[in-house]
Amino acid sequence: MSALTLISDPNTAMALLPEFTLVVGVVLMIVVPNLGNGTFRLPIPNTNIRLPYFFGGERFSFNSNPRVPGIISVTTLLFSTSLALWSQMSTPIADSNVWCITTAGEAFASCEGMVDASLLQIDGFSRLLEIVFYGALMLCGVAMWSRMPATPRFMIHAQVLAGRREDERIQKLLDNRRQVDFHLMLLMVALGMSVVALASDLFVMFIGLELASLSLYVLVAFMKENEEAPEAGMKYFILGSVASAVGLYGISLLYLWNGNLQISDLASSWQAMETIDPLALTGIAFLLVTIGFKVSAAPFHLAAPDAYTGASSPVAGVLSTASKAMGFVVLLRVLVTITMPESGEAFWVPIMGLLAAVTMTWGNFGALGSENPKRMLAYSSVAHAGYLLAAVTALGLNVAREGDHVVSELIVAAMLFHLTVLVLFKLGSFLVFSMLESEGKGSKLEDLYGLAKREPLLATALFVFMLALAGVPPLSGFLSKLLLVSGIVDATVHSTMNFDDGIIATLKSIHWVFYLALLVFLNSALSLFYYLRVGWVMFFEEPPTKKRLVYAPFLRITIMLALVGTLAFGIGPLADHLLTLVSNAAETFFA
Amino acid sequence: MMFGNPLTLLTLGPIVAGFAFMLLAWATPPSKRAEVSQYIRILIFAFALLLFALSTLMFLESYSGISWTQIGLNNYVYDNCANADVAIEAGGCSLVNGFGVSWHVGVDGLSFPMVWLTTLLIPVSMLVEWDAKKGPQFHSLILMMEGALIGVFVSLDLFVFYTFWELTLIPMFFLILLWGGDDRKYAAQKFFIYTFTASVLMLLGILVMYYYTHVPVWEGNMTGRAFDVTLMASSSSTLGTSFLGGFGMQKAVFLLLLVGFAAKMPSVPVHTWLPDAHVQAPTAGSMLLAGVMLKMGAYGFIRLAVGLLPAALVHFQVLIVILGMVSLVYGAIVCLGQTNLKRMVAYSSVSHMGLVFLGIATMQPLGIAGAIFMMLAHGIISPHLFAVCGAFKHHYHTLEIGSMRGIAKHSPWLSGHMMTAWMGSLGLPLMAGFVAEVAIMIAFWMAFGWWVILPALTLIITAAYYLWSMQRTIFEGGEDGELPESLHGEDPVDITWHENAGMFVLAALAVILGIMPFIFFDMISAFSGEFVTEVILDALNGVKP
Repeated sequence: MSALTLISDPNTAMALLPEFTLVVGVVLMIVVPNLGNGTFRLPIPNTNIRLPYFFGGERFSFNSNPRVPGIISVTTLLFSTSLALWSQMSTPIADSNVWCITTAGEAFASCEGMVDASLLQIDGFSRLLEIVFYGALMLCGVAMWSRMPATPRFMIHAQVLAGRREDERIQKLLDNRRQVDFHLMLLMVALGMSVVALASDLFVMFIGLELASLSLYVLVAFMKENEEAPEAGMKYFILGSVASAVGLYGISLLYLWNGNLQISDLASSWQAMETIDPLALTGIAFLLVTIGFKVSAAPFHLAAPDAYTGASSPVAGVLSTASKAMGFVVLLRVLVTITMPESGEAFWVPIMGLLAAVTMTWGNFGALGSENPKRMLAYSSVAHAGYLLAAVTALGLNVAREGDHVVSELIVAAMLFHLTVLVLFKLGSFLVFSMLESEGKGSKLEDLYGLAKREPLLATALFVFMLALAGVPPLSGFLSKLLLVSGIVDATVHSTMNFDDGIIATLKSIHWVFYLALLVFLNSALSLFYYLRVGWVMFFEEPPTKKRLVYAPFLRITIMLALVGTLAFGIGPLADHLLTLVSNAAETFFA
Repeated sequence: MMFGNPLTLLTLGPIVAGFAFMLLAWATPPSKRAEVSQYIRILIFAFALLLFALSTLMFLESYSGISWTQIGLNNYVYDNCANADVAIEAGGCSLVNGFGVSWHVGVDGLSFPMVWLTTLLIPVSMLVEWDAKKGPQFHSLILMMEGALIGVFVSLDLFVFYTFWELTLIPMFFLILLWGGDDRKYAAQKFFIYTFTASVLMLLGILVMYYYTHVPVWEGNMTGRAFDVTLMASSSSTLGTSFLGGFGMQKAVFLLLLVGFAAKMPSVPVHTWLPDAHVQAPTAGSMLLAGVMLKMGAYGFIRLAVGLLPAALVHFQVLIVILGMVSLVYGAIVCLGQTNLKRMVAYSSVSHMGLVFLGIATMQPLGIAGAIFMMLAHGIISPHLFAVCGAFKHHYHTLEIGSMRGIAKHSPWLSGHMMTAWMGSLGLPLMAGFVAEVAIMIAFWMAFGWWVILPALTLIITAAYYLWSMQRTIFEGGEDGELPESLHGEDPVDITWHENAGMFVLAALAVILGIMPFIFFDMISAFSGEFVTEVILDALNGVKP
């Protein structure tokens, strides 16, 4: 694709405005902290004429401030979120907002009948997911404002031990290097994730996936002063790259089978198959390993608890919300768009059902047994992946090309709703942990003791987040679970069914996928115990100290906003707005 | 439309006001706290009285303007959706369009007595515990609780109903935990886990019913379903035994709801949280717990389990009778063996709620009316009992029956109230409890014949434990009685004026409703007559031809 077309075509520029904003942000992130009063001497003999060229030298005071990278990344993400939201809200009708970006860099308002292959496809579905990604990363960026010391603590420590006062100029040079690294990675994650959301080609999708994953590996290992972080990052990196390699092999098998990695093309080839080609089947199965790792579905979830525990809390929050949402996008694209059957149920329904049941139960029992609250949230994230996989299973029953997609749209909308509100309460609880972490705490349940006496508002917020995670009405967590269960029930039980023959016969006559809904319900009831335990220790145990937590005004405001959102998206007009948004997005997914 | 309704005001008003007062108390600087808290307490009390005046006005207005017999089943007074431009099934009163939640409130002969009772008990319990530690917080929690309790009784949308149902737990939990006795942590935890687990099962039942509703005309409803109980009731009555896809599912849902409501009432196998919670709770908490929270279970059972699944009630009639009978007899026998006054009163609640189950299981108009009147009467008498227990705890620092004798000499007012309350609860004629018991017994005789001897004989045990405990504590003991050791030689004192005032209101009402039960019995029997002819008779005919 020609880079020139990409920029010169006004349609492309408009359609990719949020992504271009991110690129601008990345450039600013590289340029701004490097500006300085550096000069160079004109190469004229016997003269000393120096011209400023603004790079290098001693940096200005405004750009050596440790806050600068954070401000750049949060502003960029804020702009991108608003632009994506604006493009979603300004054209709420599903199909008028579709753009296809071809390999030539041109944008077309429809993906039908293009000469060049399509690389990116922008519609309501991908826009909504972009909003989720950017929003989650923005919250992470805000949380990092107050989290990161200018130099790693152990380095300062070593310098003090060596009796060496820090050279002021070196200090100035180092000032915000770490922050730049972190926030640059954050923006790269955002870019990678939006490529995944937009991709209409498996290979492009894989590139986006890797861009996001590699940056996330770094982010997980970023907090060097915490001994667990490099170990967690290493584990996450090794397992993640094995999973990616397997997935890449799967993609190559699909290429071998089809000669082309266009998702729409793969779908039509799949449809044309008489019997399932083993090559294609193996490819899809291998790809599922990558996806399983990304959404932390059992048995691919084993790295997740370690990664969440070792990573700093905001990053763990991104892993459990945005990264998981990215996994589900890939899952939906691969399993639903490509392998959509002509009629009847998809071939993967039994596998997904088994995976869902194992994942949610394993996650819940893991969470019940963990004493570390971050580990508990990691396992709860596994359990939530199980609930979503149960919905995907039900989707497999109903997704056939023939017939209307009312139920399938409901399920996809429920999944999108769940992934969206998860950003509020899951990431919100990680943000509260992040405040604890900045005083070196937060890895034991004891650290939460008596939080209500030290920080009543934060403790209340964390308690509400826990209730939302457990799915207590009228919070948004309940609404999302209700919609998921509604979708499963709609897909399995029909109003014409007759239950006259007694309870046992009735229970036998229902499709087995229905029992996944029951399992979701039972697991939610079980999960109440460990979520309420957090509330219990916060309110009814004695605090170890009376000291308040770090000041961090922006982080506090953000947590309060997440709290308001958790309540407001559960009941009332805002919930309706979000529901309209997600159901429109779900409609475009099947359009 | 939504906020112009007195019931909405009764529900949301106390919750908002409670929060406001709580914040006010919290924001007061410590130096002025003692002074300001006086004013806050008076303000909260005035607000509670205002709400009581509102519900009484509603009562008078509806009494003069509405003939309760004309309302009919599935029609409600003060229904905010009755005159809406759009029907409920088209989202006329919607709160969340996406999955069919509406703000639908209304009262009928079943729920109105409970609403009125709640608004009455709140100021009374505040009066009785006027001097509670951290008064402003305590009283604003009670105020919040009022809103949640009334919300349970008035909401006709099951989502909102369930939300309020769980919301009542939170103030009660804190009342026990922060103002309770020595073992309060254990009691609060047990109370919360018991009732929460049971209500999760109830939620499962509600969700199954939700999945069977169908509202195709509701614009913007993603699931195509609604939580509205009136819609469910009309499809239940038109579909009969094929409601919920058939009788098998109806029975399953009935059992789920039964577990949820029986744990709240509480009925025998799931009652063990109640004595612990009561013994540890502060006096006002106990009064509300026994007076209103237990009624939530009975109310929900009649409104949802019986009202929507009458055929299942017919099927499980014997089970309900057995549950009620075991609660009645077991509760009474356990009472005989109690040495703690409050624990005894708590078990007597189990016993009396067993009578409510018996009344419902008769499936007679009189029996159901008796059960509802029992809810009202017990809601007046049992707070009186607990107020007396609280006064003992407060002034004599003990609840052990055996540790004191002849208290009447030292505390004549307390003893007088104890006699009134105890007599009212054992079913003395001309007091409210008697009316309910007689109605239930007559209906029981009509339904089951001579089996009535069993519950009737149990009333003897009831009389025995009440009279025996009263005899030991306030009489006996010779000239000067026997003061408990917990007084440490101090002079015994009588109850304070505010305790006296609160208890006096309850005593007066118990007598008034005993002499003139028609004040409430008219609307209750109008409801129950309609209920039996419209709901239960159909089911009886359908299942047992």
